[in-house]
Amino acid sequence: MAGQTSANSEKPGTHRHFDMEILIGYILLVGVLLSVALLAIGFIWRWERSGNLRFQHTILGMNFFEFVLTSLRQMASHDLRPRVMVNMGIAVLMLTPFVRVLASVFYFALVQRNWKYTLFTGFVLSVLTYSLFLR
Amino acid sequence: MPFHILFLVSVLAGFVGAMSGMGGGVILIPVLTFFGMDIKNAIAVSIVSVIATSSGSASAYVRDRITNLKVGMFLEMFTIVGALAGAAVTLVSGRKFLFILFGVVLLFSWVALFRQRNEDWHSTVHQDRFSRWLELQGSYYDQSIRETIAYRGTRAYLGGPLMFGAGMIAGLLGIGAGALKVLIHDLVMRLPPKVSTTTSNLIIGVTALAGTSVYLSAGMIDPGLAAPIILGVVIGATLGTHFLVRLTNRMVRRIFLGILLILGVEMIIRGGVGV
Repeated sequence: MAGQTSANSEKPGTHRHFDMEILIGYILLVGVLLSVALLAIGFIWRWERSGNLRFQHTILGMNFFEFVLTSLRQMASHDLRPRVMVNMGIAVLMLTPFVRVLASVFYFALVQRNWKYTLFTGFVLSVLTYSLFLR
Repeated sequence: MPFHILFLVSVLAGFVGAMSGMGGGVILIPVLTFFGMDIKNAIAVSIVSVIATSSGSASAYVRDRITNLKVGMFLEMFTIVGALAGAAVTLVSGRKFLFILFGVVLLFSWVALFRQRNEDWHSTVHQDRFSRWLELQGSYYDQSIRETIAYRGTRAYLGGPLMFGAGMIAGLLGIGAGALKVLIHDLVMRLPPKVSTTTSNLIIGVTALAGTSVYLSAGMIDPGLAAPIILGVVIGATLGTHFLVRLTNRMVRRIFLGILLILGVEMIIRGGVGV
C-alpha cells in the first residue's frame, strides 16, 4: 500500500521536534508580525501626535544599512519617533527573508552537515548581503 | 493620494490577490497607476509588500511540511540574480515598455492560472542524475485524502535557468510572479500541485527582497507610501485567505479572474496609447 513509499517519512503530529521547518516557519512568522506591529504603532503614534497619518519623507539613495542607521539616529529627536517606528517596520520586513537564509546556512552546515546545500544557501546569502550594500 | 484611499486600495488588492491566487502586486500596480502614481514608484512600493504576503503565507506552509525546502533553496540562487537584473532594467527602461510588459505578463499568468491543473498527478519514475544529486525528492502528508505523497523532482538543469527568467520578471515588475514559478515547478520539474504552490511562495520572499534593495538604493521607496500599503495588503490577504477556506464558490473565483483579465488588457492599452 501507500505505506511502503512513506516508510521513512514523518507522519504529521508524531515527530514535532525542533527541525528546519519549525525554525524557518517561526522566523518568517515572527518577522512579519513584528514588522506589521511596528508599522501599526508608528501610524497610531503619529495619529495621536498630529491627527495626521501621512508621513512626508523620502529616503534618497541609501543602502539598507545607511537607512537603518539614519532611522536610529532620528530616535533622539522626539518629533520623529513615529517615523522611526515605520522605518524600523520596513527594515524588519526586509530582514525577515535575510535571516531565514542566514539560519538555513547554519542549519545545513552545523546540524545536517550537508555541504552541498550549505554552499547553495551561502551563495544566496552572499548575493543578498551584496544587494543590501548596493548604493 | 490620500492615506485612507491608499490603505483601502491595498486592502482590496491583498484580498483579491489572495482570493484569485495571483498575489497582491498584480492588482496593486494597475490600481495605483490608475490613481496617478508613477508606474516605477508603484513597482518599487509593491515589491516591498510582496515580501510581507509571501513570508506570511510561507510560514504556515513550511510548518505544515508541504514546502520542499531543498527545491526552494536551489531555485532561489537563480531567482535572486534574476530579480537584481530585472530591477536594474526597470530603473533605466521607459514607462510605455513597463505598462505593456505588465499587461502581457498579467494575461499570461491569467492563462496559466486557468489552465487545467493535472488532477491525477503521478510522480515521475525517472529522475535524472543531476536532480538526484540535488536531493530533490520528498514527501508530504495530504490532509484532504489522508495519505502521504512521495515525489521526485526532475529536470533541475532546466528549471534553474528558467527560474532566472521568473525572478527577472518579478524584479522588473514588482510582483511575485508566482504563476510563472508554479508553471516551471509543475511542467518542468514535475512537482505535485501543492508542493509547487507552497515552494514558489517561499522563493518569492527572498526574490522580492533582492528587488527591494535595488529600489531602496535608487531612492524609490517612500516609507510614507510603503507603510500603509504593506499594512493594507497584509490585512487584505489575511481576510482573503480566510474567505477562501469558506467560499469555494466557483462563481466568486470567476469574477476575480474576470477583474484580472480587464486589468491586463487595460495595462496594454494604456501602454499602447501612451500613459
